[in-house]
Amino acid sequence: MGPPPRPSPKLPEEIFEEILLRFPPDDPARLVRAALVCKPWCRIVAGPGFRRRFRQFHRTPPILGFLCNSGDGDSEDHSEEFARFVPTSTFRPPRSECRNWFVADARHGRALLYSWKCERPFDTAFAIWDPITGEHVKLPILQEELKSLIWSAAVLCAGGEACDHLDCSHGPFQVVMVGTDFSQIHAYVYSSEAGAWSRTSQLLPLSEYLLLQEAVPNALADNALYFAVGCGSDLLMYDLATQKMSAIKPPVALDGQRFVLITMDTGRLGFAIEKDFKLYLWSREVSPEGDAGWTQSRVIDLKKLLSIGRCSSRPDVVGYANGVGVFFVRTCDGLFTIDLKSSQVKKARKVGGTVIPIVFPYTSFYTPALMQAYR
Amino acid sequence: MASAGSGDEKAAAAAMITLISSDNEKFEVTEATATLSQTIRHMIEDGCTDGGVPLPNVTSKILARVIEYCKKHATAAAGEEGSSSSFSDAAFLEVDRAFLEELEEFDDAFLEVDRATLFDLILAANYLDIKGLLNLTCQKVADSVKGKTPEQIREMYNIVNDLTPEEEAEIRRETQWAFE
Repeated sequence: MGPPPRPSPKLPEEIFEEILLRFPPDDPARLVRAALVCKPWCRIVAGPGFRRRFRQFHRTPPILGFLCNSGDGDSEDHSEEFARFVPTSTFRPPRSECRNWFVADARHGRALLYSWKCERPFDTAFAIWDPITGEHVKLPILQEELKSLIWSAAVLCAGGEACDHLDCSHGPFQVVMVGTDFSQIHAYVYSSEAGAWSRTSQLLPLSEYLLLQEAVPNALADNALYFAVGCGSDLLMYDLATQKMSAIKPPVALDGQRFVLITMDTGRLGFAIEKDFKLYLWSREVSPEGDAGWTQSRVIDLKKLLSIGRCSSRPDVVGYANGVGVFFVRTCDGLFTIDLKSSQVKKARKVGGTVIPIVFPYTSFYTPALMQAYR
Repeated sequence: MASAGSGDEKAAAAAMITLISSDNEKFEVTEATATLSQTIRHMIEDGCTDGGVPLPNVTSKILARVIEYCKKHATAAAGEEGSSSSFSDAAFLEVDRAFLEELEEFDDAFLEVDRATLFDLILAANYLDIKGLLNLTCQKVADSVKGKTPEQIREMYNIVNDLTPEEEAEIRRETQWAFE
């Protein structure tokens, strides 16, 4: 046996911080365990300076998991379906489900939940869920004669384009809901600062091309929200600055295939659709003159990437994590994530089939708030 | 790349600096290599490198490794600069990729050291203010604690636990999920 290894020299505290900053953000448990190593490490990890620097260092919030409306995994019992948080990282939320609530959207560290009554008036209740803190706050009921049986809604930080959205999950937010009474489309905005809903003045006449569709994730791009509005139809744009709605054409005629609206790296609107085992990616470009058009930016061979062979059913694109650029694709073998940059494929969940309809990726930074223990 | 440089640049590239380790060993390096260290760059700018640069915090064993790193990365940087003017875009990208791959292999091999040496390299990179080396070595430590318990991390890096049992229990209670 050789001599015992030389003990490591002592490192100054600022070096420990340099090391802790480089912990991968998608492994929050590692940071928590590091805080238990000794007082200096705990002090660094729990400090507000570290919280800020960790976010600045990594820039892109990682995927901690995803939200979905589903049963416990194997069961097809619909009464057991409600909002759940499914971790894809080492992070585990204080509560992993919200019974009697469903997920409508997730963005900037928050999830938007809804709940409805199956009797008149068909009021829809909304709530905000922060999976990191477990906080669940109900919004005032949107009391409207409008019977918004079909609607789509988005939650977003109220800081707009001035915010870098690295640490805004405790700041002001807004909820934008577009709903139809089967003759017109209305838009409503909830502001957390005002603590109230307001109805925007504009109404968009409903046409056969403009039927709101539920369960398609919306996208935030170029200071506008984009909603999917039904089969064989247009997309609905809601301009956050002017509070005006307008219809835009999708890049391909839609005939019932699943598609997702995404935010491209450039901040532009993107559109992804599966056809013949290939994922087609489109980007909406706007010329300096203001003319908008779609450009096909990429085609991904899902058959090759996911090694689909023995499974003949078509892959289903069920979600997209903005910023990190990761698609969620379901096949009968399970739920997979596809990293657009590296083309790396990971299995996010064993269960395939129809158990998980669509997923709302939850991206956020986690740095432990240990101030209770370490004041 | 040589044809691209002017006479002045060649002279600058050829300028040599003497670094002196804590155990009084002398190392002759090019200015391009030495200036990867911001600390030395400032000394050169201030004109205080005549007669050699004493580095009382760095042993000859560690300084030799640090110089090995700087030489490789200075060459890579110079190569990239030179190639950009003399290749087509596609060829440049190819060369760029090859450089990066080679550099990555070098970095991986460079980090094959024991923990005490790794810490010495971190201290030297911090003292000499070599951003790339500090990043590389700190990332290595961050990666090495993947899946490790606090006890294992303390043992690995010779760290004394000074948290009281009460503090430890409180933190564990708050963040139990991370230990399951």
